Formats: sequence, structure tokens, C-alpha cells
Amino acid sequence: MRAIFVKTLADLRRRRLQAAVIFATAFLATGTGTMALMIVSQTGDPFKIAFQAQRGAHLQVFFDPRSDTGMLAGTPSLIGATAYGGPYRATDVQFQSGGHKYVVTTIGRDNPNGDVEQLRITAGHWPAGANEIALTRSFADLNHISIGERLKVVSVPQEPVLTVAAEVVDIDEAQASITSQHAWVLASAIAPLIAKDSSSYLMTYRFASDPTTAQLKADLDKVSAALPPGSITSSVNYLFIRSIFNVANQAIISSLIAFSVFAIAATAAIVANLVTGIVISGYREIGIMKAVGFTPSQVVSVFVLQILIPTAAACALGIPAGTILSQPLLANSSQALGLAYQATFSPALDLLALGGALLIVTIAALLPALRAGLLKPAVVIANAMAPRGQSGRWLRRLASRLGLPRPLVLGLGDAVGRPLRAILTLLTIFVGVATIVVALGEARSFDGIYTYEAHAGKVDVVIYRSPAFTDVEATQLINSQPETARLVAQTTATIAVPRIVDPVYSLIFRGDSSTLGYLLTTGRWISGPGEVVAPRGLLQDAHLKVGDTFTGTFRGSALNLRVVGEVYDFLGGPGGHELILDWSTINAIVPDLAPSTYQITAKPGSNIDAYVKRIAAAEPDLLDVQANHTGVSSGLGMIDGVLLAIAVVIALIAVAGIFNTLLLNTRERMRDTATLKALGMSPRQVIGMVASSAGLMALVGGLAAVPAGIALSRALFDLVGNIGGVDTPSAAYGVYAAWELIAILVGGLVVAVAAAMIPGRWAARTNVVEVLRAE
Amino acid sequence: MSLKYGVLGLLKEEPLHGYEVKNRFEAMLGGTWELNIGQVYTTLQRLERDGLVRPVGPRGDRGKLLYELSPDGQKALNQWLAEPDTGPQQLHEDIYVKLLLATRIANGDLQPMLARQKRTYLQRLRDLNRLEERARRDGRIDLARLVRGALLHTEADLKWMDELSSERFGTEGAARP
Amino acid sequence: MSELVRLTEVTKVYQGGITGALNGVSVTVDKGEFTAIMGPSGSGKSTMLNLVAGLDRPTSGTITVGGTDLSTLGEAGLATFRRDHIGFVFQFFYLLPNLTALENVLIPAQLKGNPPTGRARELLDQLDIKEVADRYPARLSGGQQQRVAIARALINRPTLLLADEPTGALDTHTGDQVMELLGGLHRDGQTILLVTHDPKLATRHAARVISVKDGKIADDARLESPERAPSEVIRVRSEEAPR
Repeated sequence: MRAIFVKTLADLRRRRLQAAVIFATAFLATGTGTMALMIVSQTGDPFKIAFQAQRGAHLQVFFDPRSDTGMLAGTPSLIGATAYGGPYRATDVQFQSGGHKYVVTTIGRDNPNGDVEQLRITAGHWPAGANEIALTRSFADLNHISIGERLKVVSVPQEPVLTVAAEVVDIDEAQASITSQHAWVLASAIAPLIAKDSSSYLMTYRFASDPTTAQLKADLDKVSAALPPGSITSSVNYLFIRSIFNVANQAIISSLIAFSVFAIAATAAIVANLVTGIVISGYREIGIMKAVGFTPSQVVSVFVLQILIPTAAACALGIPAGTILSQPLLANSSQALGLAYQATFSPALDLLALGGALLIVTIAALLPALRAGLLKPAVVIANAMAPRGQSGRWLRRLASRLGLPRPLVLGLGDAVGRPLRAILTLLTIFVGVATIVVALGEARSFDGIYTYEAHAGKVDVVIYRSPAFTDVEATQLINSQPETARLVAQTTATIAVPRIVDPVYSLIFRGDSSTLGYLLTTGRWISGPGEVVAPRGLLQDAHLKVGDTFTGTFRGSALNLRVVGEVYDFLGGPGGHELILDWSTINAIVPDLAPSTYQITAKPGSNIDAYVKRIAAAEPDLLDVQANHTGVSSGLGMIDGVLLAIAVVIALIAVAGIFNTLLLNTRERMRDTATLKALGMSPRQVIGMVASSAGLMALVGGLAAVPAGIALSRALFDLVGNIGGVDTPSAAYGVYAAWELIAILVGGLVVAVAAAMIPGRWAARTNVVEVLRAE
Repeated sequence: MSLKYGVLGLLKEEPLHGYEVKNRFEAMLGGTWELNIGQVYTTLQRLERDGLVRPVGPRGDRGKLLYELSPDGQKALNQWLAEPDTGPQQLHEDIYVKLLLATRIANGDLQPMLARQKRTYLQRLRDLNRLEERARRDGRIDLARLVRGALLHTEADLKWMDELSSERFGTEGAARP
Repeated sequence: MSELVRLTEVTKVYQGGITGALNGVSVTVDKGEFTAIMGPSGSGKSTMLNLVAGLDRPTSGTITVGGTDLSTLGEAGLATFRRDHIGFVFQFFYLLPNLTALENVLIPAQLKGNPPTGRARELLDQLDIKEVADRYPARLSGGQQQRVAIARALINRPTLLLADEPTGALDTHTGDQVMELLGGLHRDGQTILLVTHDPKLATRHAARVISVKDGKIADDARLESPERAPSEVIRVRSEEAPR
């Protein structure tokens, strides 16, 4: 036992550089692996995790302002709520900032923490005075409002000015781009903000276990029954919030998880490669050890230990580093998801990472070591010393026929000379390059979803109409503008579809909706009454094919509907449950249905800013006019950043792996290199020889990796789509510019050749006499 | 080296006349041992007296007798062949005593003396090399082998010179046996 | 006779060494000479060869080969010098295992950029190993490998052929054949420097034997080559006791 340790430590001392490379690679790998594991675990069901952490409210109910607060306080015990918040006074407040008018539901609350609906402050501090207000972070981001900004309240005559004191994240609300937001002031400060009788009371309830839709309905009925009729003005439950969250973030979540899993696999592959290569190159040593008298198990132990010791040391540093470094990444993804970031440390996860790393390394070292350990010493040594490179002859011939200089020809032959190691190196390069291609593709495809859903390039201005302004007036106003080229109005509703439990979210378009740019996987777009298109998820769950007819129920009336196409829409209902239909289908049944959103395409060359300002000025209070947000939000930018950061680290790991292989190769070929130098090979020629070896690997590996990476990226994206209930049409895949792919390939080549410089220079500089003497 | 057994050995091949014995013997030794015919005849007579060889047939012309090996002679030859040389190492050359003396005298002349002797040995090696080359070219394998033996001996002597060159001298008189 | 190699007060000290491998050695070698450098191991003979070949640099002193002072050459310059002017034959052959015999022979020429396949085959033929041209070193006997190495050393028509214990890894018979080859090359005009510890080998073809000891030249013997009768060289004596 002692002999094993003595030999192991002696070897480690002697091969310091190799131990250092193992250490560095393992460090990066465990760091990345830990980060990826954290992302997977935290992103798996981020809403649920945040909901638990912030003690979200299962049910929020707004009550008539005349309600008796005592009775309200008694409602929690009525329905068995284990915790409650309120009653809070609330009112809709309209304020003005930067020429824009905004409406938020302001709630009077003193304590951001408590038993239910804990608000996470992400910037600033909770309002301390009567003139301070806290906004949701997503609202502040969307409208570019910062801490310290002064907002003029215009919904009350006194027009008080409130200073933004804090940005908070509220788990019980969806993002600002989807629903209107809450805001908070101190309980004592709410009264001056209430405009004649337009206030309400808010109660929030939390239960011991997550209630179902039916239970929530029953609870609501109980509360309603216990109070005077009409006391409940509106309610929101957590299931609704959750579904919006999941739908909106499905793409992000799935992409992150898919990519993180891929990252873990890639990292493991590279490390395994590295370790296997090291052990195989030690075969001669193994043979000698056995000849000296080490038993097979001792030999294997020495080798495995030699690799495990630096690995374990690397884990000791890498896992904490990965955990710490994953925090900014998690913060970014939390922010992108619209959640509050919690610093999370999971000892269980760290142990998993540690166990996983050690296991992978041990197995990768064990397999080749066992094979060598079991063979007779003479066989092992012969194996190790066996002339290699004869398989490189065809390549040398080809290269010389191409007229390449001899050092390059020799280098190319060397590259192929040891097929097993060449394959391992190729795999490493392959994984490294493919990862970058996949990351780029994911980020692109991903950004693409958002620009697609926002109808980028098709819609220039979006207007939201308040009910006080009629549809006719709005349409007239819009059409009267000279720049208006096309108008598509829309509203949402729910339609019951046979075999689907919950009513299906439906988008109803008035106007030529085919111009919005939706992609179809099969069939065609709707062209008249009775026609619908739907994503694959709905069609699958409702057992419908393109061409089928079914009877939908809308507000109690039956609709004869025919499926004419399968549409690609990520932001429909959960699981891809969505229907898209034309106004003409509904109009006959519900003539008073009016659209609430107007999507306007302007004539080419129009000044959109002027257009927006003009319409906003025409009806500032009743119309919310905005230029179409087609850019990628900062949240998306962050996710792109996360993906690319992980990809770069993996590429670094791949580089370390290749560097180690080059080092091993060069050291093994020291005698031949010394011979060549004695015969007159100049230092420059030596470096060229080593570099061409690396270059060939990079070229072949890269050429294989680029198409593979593209295919893999599409597969991942398909996976993400499938989870969301859509089939991805080919037009939706992220597009690579040719120069980008070439740049990645060339970049890989440059990196490989640069990595070859160090072993190359070392080989060029070693003293021939010493090397040949040492034989 | 003994002439007696050399003659017996040659007669083992086939019966020979006296002058044939001389010629063959000289040929075998490649000219490195010149015999005088009288020595040969004297040896033959002694051998006949001891019963180890006997004449074959009558005296021929000019009184030349053919000799052959007798059974006793055969036995004696086999015995001689079977016995290894158990005698002491023969060191005949002057240089051995010369150097031993010189190491005691240590009059500063030792290294040059060694150098001179070494150079002589080198020249001898060269000569031996060329001799061997010629012998092989002429097909005289016996001579070539002999020369080879001589080469190795000379090399050994040269090695002794080298060893002596590296030694320190001056204490030779100290330990009296 | 023109001078080809000149060492002037050459000293080589290795790191960690107390005494030098070479201590102030001065010697010249003329064109067309076959010179043997002889000495025990560690005497510095191989060091001398390495320095002349430009494989190593002296700690002090100058080395001039063919008129070129080697200290004026950089690493690349020395490499070119070796390629163009030096043929080196090693004790352990040092053939590249992943190239065929022919490819091995061609390397020095290919490094120059003009591979004369014809000449390579000619050399293999001259050295009597034409039939192994396409075999890999692992499948060649020691003698064949050394011959390939000699062909390799000759392909660029070197000014100087250096051999460091060329027969050390060979059995006597094969070693003799290799020495014969070297002798033949010398007769054709090749300048040869042979390093050996074996005085028999040193004196076989060389007319000049430089003895090296402890980094210094102990002797520089020019030997004669007259025709001598066997009895002038060997005397076998009788010990017969008189009866």
C-alpha cells in the first residue's frame, strides 16, 4: 500500500506539467459542471421554487371598498387558509413620466415580508415616507423608469408627486409586458391617491398544500357566500399566473436546461478523453512497473491515483468556484425569467458534482489501466513501443504529392499515426467546436422566437384600447392617419374544444392576419369563417388532423370549425393549446365583441415616432400607443450571454485537452524529433511539423463539428418546441451567416495551431545531445 | 606451445613425411613460426622412440619416411587435446617488468613511457588489422583466427596501459610482503 | 591536403559538472582523412563529435568546419549546416520508425527541398540493401538498419561523415561489415571521423588515432601502413622442455 503512494507521489512530482494540465482541466470542468447542474436544478421548475421561497399567494381577491374589514379578516379561516395578507387598501393610479401615462394598481402595505406574498426588493429600499412608491422590476425595466425618478400622479386632482424608492419582484404577478402591474406605498400613504370611490380591498390567501382549480373555485364561492352579494370585484389565482409564467418562459427554461445538460455531457466527454489519452500514453511505464514487480491491481491503483489526486484537488477548488460563479448566471436567468434571484447553495448538488467528477475520471482512467494491468509486461511494453505511424503513409503520400514541405508532411503523418489517440483528439475538438455552434444556434433560434412572436418587420405600431374609447372611434382614428397601410385588430377569448379539459385560449383576428407572418408546418392560413389553425399540441391532444372538423363552444354557442393548418406559435396556451381564427367566425354569434389590440403596419418610409406621438396625443388617456418592441429584450440578451459563457468555458476545456494531447505527443516523439534535428531540421521546421499535426486535427474535427453542431442545435430547439407543444418549421431555425461558420472553423484552427506553439517551441529548443543520450 | 603435440595432431589427419609436417605446420601458423627441418626430424624420432608414432612402409627415395600415429600416440593426443591449459598466464614481454620497476622508481618518466608503449601497441594493432584483412582476402582462415587472437591480446595490454595511466603512484615500496 | 576541421581551445562544461567534458582541446583534421577518436566512456570523445556536428555549442573556444566558424551560426543556421555538410551515423541507428527505409534515407534531402529518389535507391543498392527499400525499420536487422542510416548520412554528399560507435549495437560479424563499408567510403575520398572505445576498430581503417582522456587529448598518433610479413607481426614460441 505504501509502495503505491510512494510511486504515485514520485510520478506526480516528476510529471508536474501533466498534473497541472489535469488539474486545470478538471477545475474548469467541475466548475462548468457545477454551474450547469445548478442551472438545471434551479431552472427545472423555477416558478415553483420562487413561489415557495416567496410564500406566494394561492388566491388574491379584490373586494368592494364598502366591505367590512373585520369580515374580510375572517375569510381566511372560512376557507382553511393557513396564512393570509391584508386587508390592504388598493386603488388604480395613473401617473405620468417622460410624456407617457401609465396605470398601476397601487396597494397600501407597510411590510414587504410577512406570511404571504413576500416581495423581494431588487433595488432601492421599501418606501419609508408617504411620497415614496415601490414598482415592480419588470414594470420599471419595460418603461425605463429608474430609482429616484419622480412620478406625477394625474388620477387625483392634487397631482402628488411620488419618488420611486424600490424595484421589487412579486411572484403573484405576471410580467409587465403581459398584464398591468401592482405598485406599493405605505398604508398611511394610500388615502391621498384614491380618486373618488375607485378603491378596493385586497386579501391574499395561502394554503398548506397547492389547491386545484376546483378547490379554488369552491373557496371563492364560500367567501362570496359569506359576504354581501357583489363584494368580490375580481380575483386571480396562482394557477393562472403560473401558466402565464410557464408559457412566457418555456423557451428560456427549456433552452437553458437542454443546453446545460449538453454542457455537462460535453464536459464529461472531454475530460474522459483527456484521461484515457494520458493512461494510454503511460503504457510503457505500466509495462516497466509490472516487470519490476507491481501487481496488476497496484499498477492500476498508481495510475488511477495519479489522475485522481489532481482531480480531487481541482474539485475542491472547482466546485465552490462553480457554485459561486453560477450565482451571477442564475441571477441573470432569474431576471430574464422575471423572478427574484435568491443566492442558492446546495450541498447536495455539490456532492453530486464531486461524486460525478470523480466517478467519470475514475472510470475513464480505470478502463485503459485495467487493460494494461492485465496484460503481460512484455506485451504491454511492446505495445507501447510498437512502431506507429504506418497508418499515416497514405496521408504522407497525398501530402507530398500536393507539394507540401516535408516538415508539414511529417506532421500530418504523425497526426494520423496513432489512430486511437487521433480519434480521441478529434472527439475533443469536435465537442469543443460543436458546443460553440450549438450555443450560437440556440441563442439565435431563441432570439428568433421573440422577434417572430412580436411580428418583427410586419407590424410597426401596437395600440392597446381602453374600453372607454370605442372600437369604431379607434379604427377611424387609425385609418385616418396617412401612414397607415394595414390594420389587423385582435382580441382573445376562450373556446371549449372537445376532449380538452380547460377552455382553450384563442386569438381572434380582424383584418388580413396572413400578413402577420405566422409560420405553418402543414396546411394553410385561415381565409374565411369557420376556419382555424392551431399548434401541434392542441391538435394532438384533441385528436385532430388538418382537414378535420369539430364543434367548439364559445359563450355557450356552438361553432362549426375546420382545421386548415398547423401553426407554429410558441406563446399560445400551455402545451400548445391555442386556436387562431378569423373575426368572421365569431361575428355572427357575438356581434358586440370588440378588439382590444390594434396592430398597424405603416407605409414604407414613414416616420414611426411622429406617428406614435400623434395618435398618443390624440387620445392620451384611452389609448396606449407604442412602437413595436422588436428588439431582443435585455433578459434575452442575458440568456444569450449565459449560453455563450458556458460555450466558451467548454471550448477552453477542449483547448486544455488538445494542449495536453499535443504535449504528450511531443514528449513521446522526442527521440524522433531529436533525430530530425540532428539531420538538419531547423527550429522553424520543427514547429511547423507540430503545428501541422494540430492543424489537421482542428480542420477535420471542425469540419465534422460544424454540420453536427447545426443539426444538434436544431434537435435541441425541436426538443424545446416539443415541450411547448409546437413542431418547429425549418424557417424558424436560427440562421447562421456563412462567415460565422467559417470564422468558427478558422478560429478553431488558429487556436489549435496557437496551442501547438508551446509544445512546438519546446521541441525545437530541447538539446539533441541530451535527448539522444538519455535513450 | 608444444611442437610435439603439433606434429601428433597433424599426423592424425593423415600420415605425412617429415618435410610435409614442416610445411603444413608453417602454413597453419601463417608464417608466424618458422621451423627448421632438423627440429621436425628430431621431434619425430623422439615420438617414435616413445611409441607415439611409427613409420609406415619402407623408406622411400632419399631416405624419406612416412610416419603415422600409433594407438598410444592417438591416446596421448586426445589426452592433450582434452586437457585445458592449466598453467599460469605467461607474460613474456619486457614491458611487464619494465613498468613494475618504473612505477616504483617514479622518476616522472612513467606517463611518457606508458604513452610510448601505447603508441607502439596502436601501431601493432594497425599492423595486425591489415594482416587479418590480407589473410581473409587470401582465404587463410587459420592465420586470420590467430591474428584475431593476437589483436585481442594487444587490446588487453593496451587496456592495462590505460589503467596504469589512471593510477596514482609512489606507495609501491610501502607494503612489504 | 586542405584543412577541414579545426578545434581551437575548445572547452565544454555541462551544467552541474565539476570538471568539463572537454578541456581546452585543439586539433585539426584534414580533408580525406580517416581519423579515429578513442577513449573510455566519459572521456569526451562523443562530445567532440557532437560539437563538430554543431549539435551542441562549446562553452569556450572555436570550431571551424569547412571554413565556417560554427559560433557565427544560429540554431537555424546550424540545422542547415548539419543538413548540408554533415552525415551522422549513430550507435543506435535512430531511424524514424514510421517511415520506410527509402523514406528514411530521403529525409535530409527532403528537408532541403529536392528529394532525389534516384540517388537514394542508388545508395541503397551500393550498400547492398536495395530490396528493403519499402520495409519499415522494425522489420530490418541491426545491420540493415545501420546501412540505411549510412545511406541517409550520405544522401546530401556530406563534407564530413561522423560515426559514433557505429558497431556498438551490432554483433561482431555485422559490425565488421559496417566497418568495411566505412573503409570503402574512405577509399572513395570521404572524410571520416570515427568515435569508438575499441582500439581494434579504431586502427582498422584509420591511419590517425586521437586518444582522449578526461576531456583532453592524451595522444595524437599517426600510424604507418607498410606491408608486413606475418612473422614480423606475430611470433608464436615453443616452450618445449628439452628431453
